[in-house]
Amino acid sequence: MGILVRASGLTKKYGDLVAVDGIDFEIREGECFGFLGPNGAGKTTTVRMIHCVSPVTSGALTVGGMPSGIGNRALKKITGVIPQEIDLDNDLTVAENLIIFARFFDIGRREAKARLAELLRFVELEAKAGSKISELSTGMKRRLLIARALINRPRLIVADEPTTGLDPQARHLIWQRLRRLKSQGATLVLTTQYMEEAQQLCDRLVVMHQGRILKEGAPARLIEDEIGREVVEVRTPPEDDARIVGRLDSLGCAHERVGDTLYFYCRDGHGLMRKLLELDLPSILNRPATLEDVFLKLTGRGLHE
Amino acid sequence: MSLSYRIAYVFLRNLYSYKRFILPTFLVSLVEPLFYLVTFGVGMGAYMGAFGGRPYLHFLVPGVLASTAMMSSSFECLYGTFVKIVHEKVYDSLVATPVSADDAVAGDIAWGSFRGLVSGGLMMTVALAMGVAPAAAWRALVLVLFLVFIGVLFGSLAMIVTSISPSFDFFSYYTELVITPMLFFSGVFFPLDRFPGWMKALAEFLPLTHAVRVSRALFGGAAAPGLGWSLALLAAVAAAAFTVSVRMMRKRLIK
Repeated sequence: MGILVRASGLTKKYGDLVAVDGIDFEIREGECFGFLGPNGAGKTTTVRMIHCVSPVTSGALTVGGMPSGIGNRALKKITGVIPQEIDLDNDLTVAENLIIFARFFDIGRREAKARLAELLRFVELEAKAGSKISELSTGMKRRLLIARALINRPRLIVADEPTTGLDPQARHLIWQRLRRLKSQGATLVLTTQYMEEAQQLCDRLVVMHQGRILKEGAPARLIEDEIGREVVEVRTPPEDDARIVGRLDSLGCAHERVGDTLYFYCRDGHGLMRKLLELDLPSILNRPATLEDVFLKLTGRGLHE
Repeated sequence: MSLSYRIAYVFLRNLYSYKRFILPTFLVSLVEPLFYLVTFGVGMGAYMGAFGGRPYLHFLVPGVLASTAMMSSSFECLYGTFVKIVHEKVYDSLVATPVSADDAVAGDIAWGSFRGLVSGGLMMTVALAMGVAPAAAWRALVLVLFLVFIGVLFGSLAMIVTSISPSFDFFSYYTELVITPMLFFSGVFFPLDRFPGWMKALAEFLPLTHAVRVSRALFGGAAAPGLGWSLALLAAVAAAAFTVSVRMMRKRLIK
């Protein structure tokens, strides 16, 4: 598989603020690539540079071999953007939103009509063609944003937190659609704060924090490397830590105290559980390790505001 | 500047959205000049006697025509554009397509100009009903072109204000301190020649003064002195305002 997006030393500054701090990554043709990170990590800034609406401060960024830049109409023509903020045109109906957007891409009237029907079917909004935007639910609006992003049959689809504020049904429907797009050959770039979303959709991802890339890899691989297979959570007062940890030394598990909880990360969850049960502690939970553990380990547990 | 034929797409988008506002805007565009023409033209005109050999209304109409186009295009590029940038996020979605920020701004200025033309046209129908018309049919055609032109001029000036405006309230500075005074100091309602020298000199700095002068000349036929100068000045201001507005809006839109 070829490389579609290539960044090296990619940097974005707003005055003195460094939003993206010299990052390198490669996105392969046909994969789903995720940018994961807390608020303000630089995910959105990075994808905005990829889809040519924000100028690069320094470093190199190419898409399909062409340098990305705000004046690059050829790149914008092959890119579809599902924005974080719902920016549908409230003055227009559902159908008009797509028809007008098609014009922006030089798509003729007849072709636009054909794509309109096809896309409304794809996002299950056929019945809403004549509706005003204000009559749609948030989930419908997000689906319409997907349809709008596809009007130009994009080679690269950029989805910036596409399921923010949705209920589980709507979220799963959007995941279905994004996976189908990928299976049809599109390259997908996704930013998200939802670990489950990243695990569901991404072939590979990077974890970003404060403008830098902390780790890169396939979700399962990252979990295995950073956390292990299992996590055990013990809810005890901190005074007990020395006693508990001392008993478990032989197992070689990493541990961490956060607030009222003592976390153990390890491969042999069963062995650990057996020993912990001997201690007769009030509250123990053994569960598989998730991307969320990786995320919290890498970006810290403090609030990012 | 990154301008292309896609300006037309932005104009088309505005035309689509206009469908929902067309009735109220037509009403406003009809009623506002009607007030001016009836109160000043008929009411006050009755006290003024013949004005250069003709009723006052004939003096008033070309002035109100130019100021109506100014008002409409200005308001569209102030409030209309601001809503599209800040509230409706139309620009955000536009710049992610092959339509550039420059195209979008130029498209909105073109739209403001069109709105000025529509308002001017509606005002002219009122004037025609009151018996005031350009001296010849070709003059009406040239007036249409002229209205489009001053729409671009005043739309661009307003766009500069929009490019630095943090909120709606900011527009009051421009409308109250620039637009409204211009209405009274540019010879729309009365000739400037009785002004003291310094006020006359001041008036020469107001684009509307020149727009009114040209409009009046196009209407009546008498070639006023300094007409060429007025046209040249208007063209220069329009070109400068357009360039500056596109640049400054680009700065606001692209970060």
